[in-house]
Amino acid sequence: MNASDWVITKRMLGGLLIGLGALTFVGSLLLDALRGNFGDFGVAQVLGLGGSLGICLIGVSLLPLGDRPA
Amino acid sequence: MIGTLARVGGAARLMALAQQLLLGVALLLMALHVAVYVVYAVNLMAFPFDYDQGEGFELNDTILLSQFQSPYRDNEVFPFYASNYPPLYHVILVPLAWLFGAEYWYGRLAGFLATLITAFAIGYAVRRATGQSTIALLSGCAYLASNYVYHIGPLFRQHISMVMFETLAVVVMAGLSESRRPRRLIVASLALLLAAGYTKQLAIATVAAVFFWLFLRGVRRAIAWAIPFAAVGGGIFLLIDWSTGGQWWLNIITANVNQYILGQYTGLLSQFIGLHGALLILAGLLVVYELYLDRLSLYSVWFVAALLNSVLAGKWGAGDSYFATAIAAMCILAGIFAGRTLSGRWRLPRLLSGAERVMPLLSVAVCAAYVLYGAAVIKLPLNLPVFAQIGQALGLQSNTKFPHFYDSAGWTMGYATIGQIPTAEDIANGWRIVAYAQADPRPILSEEAAFSFRSGKPVVTNPTQLLNLYNNNTPERTLYDPSALIALIEEQAFGVVILRREIGQTAILGFYPPPVLAAIERAYALREAIPMNGHEYTVLLPRPEWSKPQ
Repeated sequence: MNASDWVITKRMLGGLLIGLGALTFVGSLLLDALRGNFGDFGVAQVLGLGGSLGICLIGVSLLPLGDRPA
Repeated sequence: MIGTLARVGGAARLMALAQQLLLGVALLLMALHVAVYVVYAVNLMAFPFDYDQGEGFELNDTILLSQFQSPYRDNEVFPFYASNYPPLYHVILVPLAWLFGAEYWYGRLAGFLATLITAFAIGYAVRRATGQSTIALLSGCAYLASNYVYHIGPLFRQHISMVMFETLAVVVMAGLSESRRPRRLIVASLALLLAAGYTKQLAIATVAAVFFWLFLRGVRRAIAWAIPFAAVGGGIFLLIDWSTGGQWWLNIITANVNQYILGQYTGLLSQFIGLHGALLILAGLLVVYELYLDRLSLYSVWFVAALLNSVLAGKWGAGDSYFATAIAAMCILAGIFAGRTLSGRWRLPRLLSGAERVMPLLSVAVCAAYVLYGAAVIKLPLNLPVFAQIGQALGLQSNTKFPHFYDSAGWTMGYATIGQIPTAEDIANGWRIVAYAQADPRPILSEEAAFSFRSGKPVVTNPTQLLNLYNNNTPERTLYDPSALIALIEEQAFGVVILRREIGQTAILGFYPPPVLAAIERAYALREAIPMNGHEYTVLLPRPEWSKPQ
């Protein structure tokens, strides 16, 4: 690896996971709304929403680890 | 003081003894699993028909490629056949097809060898990371011991070869930071990834995991390698699609978009955890350790990606095999966790420095985890010498639909009902079905290609492929129109129709699209239902009173 290459830190990884989780969460809700049955969540959607929240939480927990390489 | 030291020394000796004892039991269990697996594989290689539905179509792909014909064809033109998998596994087998013709044994041998290579790679990765030979051996054997790997390892199917390429790619790439020739290493790993992807599409998750890990370790480098990789991988894809007139895309992408059955996935996930839980805990702990206290290894990223990808096991037609990649990753992570524990190589932060005192206990626990795992994944043929006595000693009885096969996995939707050793009666019944095919000069319509190969007839249709495409038809878009096949059925152009159903079912069932099955029922009548491998093969002959509607 080139010494000048960018290495992802724990904080950056946390941010990435928060972004990914939020995108999945909002995406699931939007998909539901676009289908015209907003709020009528099936088991898969509930699992998806729960999973995306879980990803966000893992991301948040990584933020305090700062600039250590991920 | 001396008394306290003696007590501490005594406790340490006791722990060390328990550790050795548990490792010994774990090794014995793994030896049993490997022996069962080898016996199963050897028996399958001698079985001349489809053991698992769809094997014959992979043999047909190999035969077509050996004749320099494309397996990505128009499903609406005779013989209404197309493959739904990439070609690499079949291409590798082409020289054997030239030498031995249409035989099942070499594809099954290739699958079996692929599992051995994967097990070796897992052991190598653990040995390299921890220096622990015994744990490395246990880790490799743990892969072979899994009920899921046992199931699909020695089959004429491409899936397990994909797992082999994935594992090799990851193990090669994981050595990147210690390598003096990183470029060569990356090229080798990416070539293996490409091989995995062109063996089966599911490898896409491993490709993503490898590039995500490269991205974590160096953004520019990851992008610099992703561009040529995408160009080569995508270029091959476009070239095949162009050369097949779009049949490649239709048959390996569109035809694989199937109905999703959540209950199938949750059932398989629950079974997967039940069987592999002991090692999953060790693997999970290492992922958490790396996430918060160390750098993420490629193995951890791969494990998470493979677990996420296993969600696809809920697709119609998918099953337990979709967990095989996660099992390989789990075996490496669990092995590294165990190896580090036994060799005291953990680097703990000051906050957790007190945890070192529990290391002897943790060492016993990781050894116990391998024993628990070895006990959880037991499957045994109960009618073979030695295994029968072991089964008797353990008090095991058949819990499957086969009278002489015990499988700790039980059953859930998507878990293939295979694993038993085929009997002489199964083989004799297979030849009885072939006799029907040989008795009529017309081609046959069979849900399994073996009867076509054995009777010297062309392989006509890949029924699940036709069903998948038919199910994806929409009012705006017809992916498969069965009218040409239905016309031939109504003309009674086939001498025999062979369908498969569960024993005890009475209706004419099969994997064909409903209108095709309806046409079969109109023009053909059930002659005999022949049991083989736990299923019933319905042999249908043309109805003499039938006349095609004008």
